[in-house]
Amino acid sequence: MSRGLRGTGVVELLVGTALGLVVLTMLTATVASGARLLVSAGARGEAEDTAQLVVEAFTFDARRAGWDPAGAGVRPVTDAQASRIAFNADLDGDGAIDPASEETAAYVCAVGAARLSRIIGRQSLPLADGVTACAFRYLDAAGTPIPIPPGGLDAATRDTVHAVALDLVLLPSGLRGRSERTVLVALRSRP
Amino acid sequence: MTHGGTALPAALAALAVSTALGAAVAELTRIEVTIARHRRAATAALVATDTCVAEVVTALAPGWDFGGVLAGADGRPGTADDGVLAAPAGCAADAEAPPGPAAPPRLLVRFEARAGGGRRLVETLVGRDPAPAVPALLWLGALPPPGAITGTVTLDGSDADEPSSAEWSSLAAPDDPAMLDRWLAGEAGVAVSPRTASAMAAAAPPFEALRARLRAAGAAGAEALVGAASPPPTLAAVDGDLAIAGALHGAGVLLVTGTLDIQGRLDFTGIVIATGGVRVERGGSFAVSGAVWSGPSLAVEGVLALRHSGSAVATADGLLPLPRRAVLLGLRDVG
Repeated sequence: MSRGLRGTGVVELLVGTALGLVVLTMLTATVASGARLLVSAGARGEAEDTAQLVVEAFTFDARRAGWDPAGAGVRPVTDAQASRIAFNADLDGDGAIDPASEETAAYVCAVGAARLSRIIGRQSLPLADGVTACAFRYLDAAGTPIPIPPGGLDAATRDTVHAVALDLVLLPSGLRGRSERTVLVALRSRP
Repeated sequence: MTHGGTALPAALAALAVSTALGAAVAELTRIEVTIARHRRAATAALVATDTCVAEVVTALAPGWDFGGVLAGADGRPGTADDGVLAAPAGCAADAEAPPGPAAPPRLLVRFEARAGGGRRLVETLVGRDPAPAVPALLWLGALPPPGAITGTVTLDGSDADEPSSAEWSSLAAPDDPAMLDRWLAGEAGVAVSPRTASAMAAAAPPFEALRARLRAAGAAGAEALVGAASPPPTLAAVDGDLAIAGALHGAGVLLVTGTLDIQGRLDFTGIVIATGGVRVERGGSFAVSGAVWSGPSLAVEGVLALRHSGSAVATADGLLPLPRRAVLLGLRDVG
């Protein structure tokens, strides 16, 4: 073998391969990190959007609860429990509440199923998944919280409710941080 | 020998993937920022709408129904201004009669407000407060000038008969409540009890309508004020000025279309209405369990003592239905 031959030795090949692997590993880790960031950012954005959507939907329904243009005596809150609330609104002004229409809107916290649902008429719509805590609160005219018995507030006590609150905590899978919202809405049908 | 390798393709591939990831993150961020901007605009418009609703409803004149509101500024139904309400800048409000029976009186008012690049539409139902009158001891058509009180004024918003009832405000007038409180605090000789609520905004009392209703109800004249204490509640209306020189008592509703001039002493239980204003001269004493509704001229050189009395106001309301404030009965977001 001539001493003047040029080429790649085994050692050089091994070193080169090792260096290449190191660089590739670093690149892969960087790309994977970026991908995780993207997934995490997307999940976080979705969680915040979901929480905000819940706030907007709940506010929308609570604000119009008791809408009664015909003066028929519509009661704004027909079910008031810690895990469930139902609103009434005479949206078409005919003096009656159609239970199969959007004139009734209910919210159900099912923490066991990690879900908050909005029930419009007879149609249940999942509003948020990944729910780890969810509860409704009721306040009287002075802003004092009304204690909620196991069966919920009775009709007479429901008539004293002037504001409703929703406390919601979401922890979607893949996220460490929680999305929390507390919304307090005054019932506009209470002068 | 040709030097081949994987470093360059790998680097290029990694660069492409990283670029795609970066673009995705940037797009995600852009979408979230856009959503947040829209939410902020919607929230700003909603706040503007709610503020507009509060201001317009507060500015609606206390009364018995909404006929005047529906007739518009010219007071004639069937004209272009029917139902058009004065609203703050950036907001419009239109009223109409809601469906259903005429009683109790109600108003359907549509609001549209723009703020922060957003726009919101809200429908509201407005009715009359079940409680009579405006919950204020002194209800003025306009804020008097500084220095109107040189005597002594005591205001007590607590109800002696019903200590648990809501406290009444010291003062109501069609001005910013903070300005009313500042005016009251700036007047020497004014003592406000701790159980008196802050001043409140309210449109001027409906003096003309009250006068017409009192006349229609067959109100007596100044003879309803007597020297004996605790007279029976009655309706009294006096055209022009009324000067009280001696010591008199009255109860029910007293309306003076001119100035009520207290030179002596007047103790009254109920509602005293003085279209031309109230003057308590030096040495004079004017004590009311109930409320005083006065025109813009208020001058106190003597003693003026006002105390909330729910029973006195209820009795007056029984004799002559008193005007009610406009209150919000319902609201719904339309768009």
